Amino acid sequence: MKPEEIVKLREQALNEGRAAATLADLEAVRIKYLGRKGALPDIMKGLKDLAPEERSRAGQEANNFKQQIGELLDARKLELGSTAGTVSKVTFDYTLPGNWRGLGSKHPISMVTEEAIRIFAKLGFTVAEGPDVETRYHNFDALNTPDHHPSIDQKDTFWLETGELLRTQTSPVQIRAMESRKPPVRIITPGRCYRRDATNATHSANFHQIEGLYVDAKVSLADLKGTLAYFAKEMMGPKVGVRLRPHFFPFTEPSVECDFSCHVCGGSGCRVCKNSGWIEIAGAGMVDPRVFMKVGYDPETTTGFAFGMGVERIAMVKYGIGDIRLLYENDIRFLRQFV
Amino acid sequence: MKVPISWLKEYVEFDASPDELAKRFTFSGIEVEGIENGAPSYDGVVVGEVLSIEKHPGADRLLICRVNDGAGEQKVVCGAHNFAVGDKAPFARVGAVLPNGLKISERKVRGELSCGMLCAEDELQISEDHSGIMLLDRSLAVGTPFSKAVKTEEIVLELEVTWNRPDCLCIIGIARELAALFGTKLKFPSVEFPEKGEQIEKLAKVTVEDSVGCPRYTARVISGVKTGASPVWMQKRLMLSGVRPISNIVDITNYVMLECGQPLHAFDYSLLANHEIVVRRAKLGETMATLDGIERNITPEMLLIADAARPIALAGVMGGAGSEIQDNTGTVLLESAAFDPRSIRQTSSKLGFTTESSYRFERSVDIRGVDWASRRAASLIVQYCGGTAAAGSIDVFPKKLQERNIACRFQRVNDLLGVSVPAGRVVSIFESLQIPVVKLDDSSCTIAAPSFRPDLMIEADLIEEVARINGLDQIPAVPPPASVIPDADDSRTRAIIALRTSLVGLGLSETMNYSFVSERLLNIFSPQDVGRRVALPNPVSADYAIMRDSLIPQMVEWLGRNLFHQIAEVSFFEIGKVFLKGPDGKIREEDRLSIGLLGKVGRSSLDSRRGLKRDEMFLWAKGIVEALHRAQHLNGVESAPCRASYFEEGGCVSISVGGQQCGIMGLVAEPIRKEWRMTEPVAVVELALDPLLSRFAAAPALKPAPVYPSIARDVAIIVAKEITHEDILHVIRRSAPGELTETKLFDIFTGDAIGVGRKSLAYSLVYCDLNRTLTDEDANRYHNAIKDALKNELKAEIREN
Repeated sequence: MKPEEIVKLREQALNEGRAAATLADLEAVRIKYLGRKGALPDIMKGLKDLAPEERSRAGQEANNFKQQIGELLDARKLELGSTAGTVSKVTFDYTLPGNWRGLGSKHPISMVTEEAIRIFAKLGFTVAEGPDVETRYHNFDALNTPDHHPSIDQKDTFWLETGELLRTQTSPVQIRAMESRKPPVRIITPGRCYRRDATNATHSANFHQIEGLYVDAKVSLADLKGTLAYFAKEMMGPKVGVRLRPHFFPFTEPSVECDFSCHVCGGSGCRVCKNSGWIEIAGAGMVDPRVFMKVGYDPETTTGFAFGMGVERIAMVKYGIGDIRLLYENDIRFLRQFV
Repeated sequence: MKVPISWLKEYVEFDASPDELAKRFTFSGIEVEGIENGAPSYDGVVVGEVLSIEKHPGADRLLICRVNDGAGEQKVVCGAHNFAVGDKAPFARVGAVLPNGLKISERKVRGELSCGMLCAEDELQISEDHSGIMLLDRSLAVGTPFSKAVKTEEIVLELEVTWNRPDCLCIIGIARELAALFGTKLKFPSVEFPEKGEQIEKLAKVTVEDSVGCPRYTARVISGVKTGASPVWMQKRLMLSGVRPISNIVDITNYVMLECGQPLHAFDYSLLANHEIVVRRAKLGETMATLDGIERNITPEMLLIADAARPIALAGVMGGAGSEIQDNTGTVLLESAAFDPRSIRQTSSKLGFTTESSYRFERSVDIRGVDWASRRAASLIVQYCGGTAAAGSIDVFPKKLQERNIACRFQRVNDLLGVSVPAGRVVSIFESLQIPVVKLDDSSCTIAAPSFRPDLMIEADLIEEVARINGLDQIPAVPPPASVIPDADDSRTRAIIALRTSLVGLGLSETMNYSFVSERLLNIFSPQDVGRRVALPNPVSADYAIMRDSLIPQMVEWLGRNLFHQIAEVSFFEIGKVFLKGPDGKIREEDRLSIGLLGKVGRSSLDSRRGLKRDEMFLWAKGIVEALHRAQHLNGVESAPCRASYFEEGGCVSISVGGQQCGIMGLVAEPIRKEWRMTEPVAVVELALDPLLSRFAAAPALKPAPVYPSIARDVAIIVAKEITHEDILHVIRRSAPGELTETKLFDIFTGDAIGVGRKSLAYSLVYCDLNRTLTDEDANRYHNAIKDALKNELKAEIREN
């Protein structure tokens, strides 16, 4: 087919396309001109019979033919489709609830524990674990607890018939870690602990702690303060600061307590911090040289810090949970809020 | 411990508001738990104006006054004469209770009605003065509450003293801290008194049989005392400190204890058999009644104070009835002693109570201060109770104290604290705390630990003193560099976090349960497991008496409790420990995972009203278990039918990985469900954690995704009902070529058309060759081989359509 004929045929096709009144008419036009047995394949097949000079022009026109009709058909298809609304449009209620199984939730104690693991991992701390059923040696004696210290009492500690006890702190894991390796040691020990406390809004006989231990050649109280300050910001927010107060623990010397500035009011005083601007979070200190001697470290060349904090307490402060018992009541309406 | 600020000022000078003082204490190691006004409230005591004064018709020394108390005119009978009409004075209305406990009521005095009282200073515990009524500024408005009219405030700090600082359990100890903090001098009260009586040795005898339990015992005797009320200032201080005044001698012993931390005991000398004191362990079968009138069971390890005949006190804990100070006591034997903290703690914990005295002894008292306290009390007794002190004292103190010298290197201070403290500052801190420095050179100093500081044992203890007095706010916050610890391995922790995250992704919510449970709950599930359970000898309550040996009981309990809260759908998991007692009595711990499903948790909410079938519930749980194993890179997970008392028969399987059993899952048996009124099927899973985590760190073995097209063929078979899906899979896998890449069950059907005892299953099988395009002929060949195997091995009927 000569170029002129192609142009003519194109105009005819375009006219028919413009005239189509339904999508079916339009489809008929497409089949007639662009279909497998339509006009365009014929044109393409005929190209080889033309003189070289005509062939290239005809080729160009054939491309024009295909492109212009294609564009027209697409445009008309949209037009007919939207006005007729018969083929492509669907109507459904997109406000219906999504229907893919929802996410569950992590327990707030797990959320705080995992977050603490993440934060301390950045400072090079690795998780260490130990048994809940402990020996007196690991839980008290190796931690330099005097044998008449009240915490050893039947009144405060769950002693078992085997002579073992339910650990009152995760500190025995520190002892086990130091017994099994030489310095440096840098661990955190999240885990469950037990004390014979009557359950009330702030006490639970079964609770969780995260302790940390960093032992090396020259570790100082300033390192401890820096570590806790870093943790406070990461856990509670960038504006939260720390302060230390002297305290007493048998296994550290000096011993301190660590307060975080209130993440809610920023230190000006509110209900959460009981108007003090500060929230007591951690007990800490420099590992007592007598503890190092128990595990066979040289207290002259080794120093280290240890800290411990209650997971429940952090969760309660962070999420505004008013009663520790909520954490063990497993009410799905409470739990599923922690996504 | 309650510390009145006004009392502190007797021993140390300082200028600070109560808030500032509290801050200084808190940041030097003594936590201030409260700042309170300890003064009496003076409710009902107001400023009254004297309107008229007349003589009492029936008594010469009494007056009858009319007083305007702001609310009206009151008639009162008054014994004082130091005032005139127009004077203003504190007036206690009817109903008021004065600080000494006197309740004001209407009463007749020599026939005249008296409605209220004009008060003297001693009656209000303002001073000792009882010479007349207290006169107030005439400009004060009538009816003004007395507490507003006169500044009566007495600030009391509530201090929490840590266990290692018994020296701070007294006013002087606290004052010593203040002297160090404010750089001022500590002043001690006088302990001088005349010793005009007989030589003590002629009056009394002391034998200490147990010098370990009682390393020092002193006795003084004061004769000719008169018992009565103690001075008002002393009563006031006792009350501000939370100690009830009793009588002068007892009050003095309490006062000196509060002042210097040394508990004292006063015996009525005349009631001591043979005037003898014996410090000894209790004898088998001995009993005694304590001061509070309670008969105590005493056991042989308890340390006693006895006279020649019988026990007269539980040493350091409480005095006995029958030897205590009486109203007519004339001669006092004053005990001041040091007891072994362990012994005192044992006695008080065995008897189940502590006293002001035992509290201090079990933390240890200053053994060198024992005699000072005795002298202080004796001087007060002589001064306020009259009497004559015997000459000298008995002091049984056989083992002299060893000096404890401790060196402190200045460089070590700086290294441990991470801050530079000048040597001069270190030394001055020690001296300000009355810790004598006995040796000093450029690099270190040596101190002699005072006997009131049992906590100072090693260099680190001294560094703590420097840290707390110098101020912890001086310590910089240095984040330590995170140097690598090469062999640290946290893969187990990461596996658990990944597991938890998978479970949350699968729609489950995490629960947390106590490690101890009630026996009743465990017995609902498996009464036969009693032998492996670990019981707590001293549980907090019966609800928490047994260590759990399975996570399942609490899981089911909480599903049930949520149902009580009208929650229809719950999917829970818990990761926790169980505790199992072995045949050898040893306790083994195991980490486990439990999963519990309640309601139509696997269905769309638009399809939630249809009844829940058992197999549907079971398969949801199974789906979760399969997904978890996949997430932890575990293949070869198998299930096998099993029995458990708490699962429905037939609805329970054991789960194993690589041939090793690692858990159980099933449908909770109906009688157990009924405990919590659960009527529909409930599924529970319990898996041991370690097998589940065992391959977490393994990289999954990858297979290339096929590039050549695959061919799918369906096969529908009719088999006997007993044939399981897994039976069919086994046959298909055995008979299929390597080109079979997928087998998917897409339909199950039973019904009349199939025939009784039979079922129809339809599978879609996908064939693919990794190296070429399969032909239809290939696929047909593979497919026919499988069909033949199904026919031969399972007597399957192939449904051709």
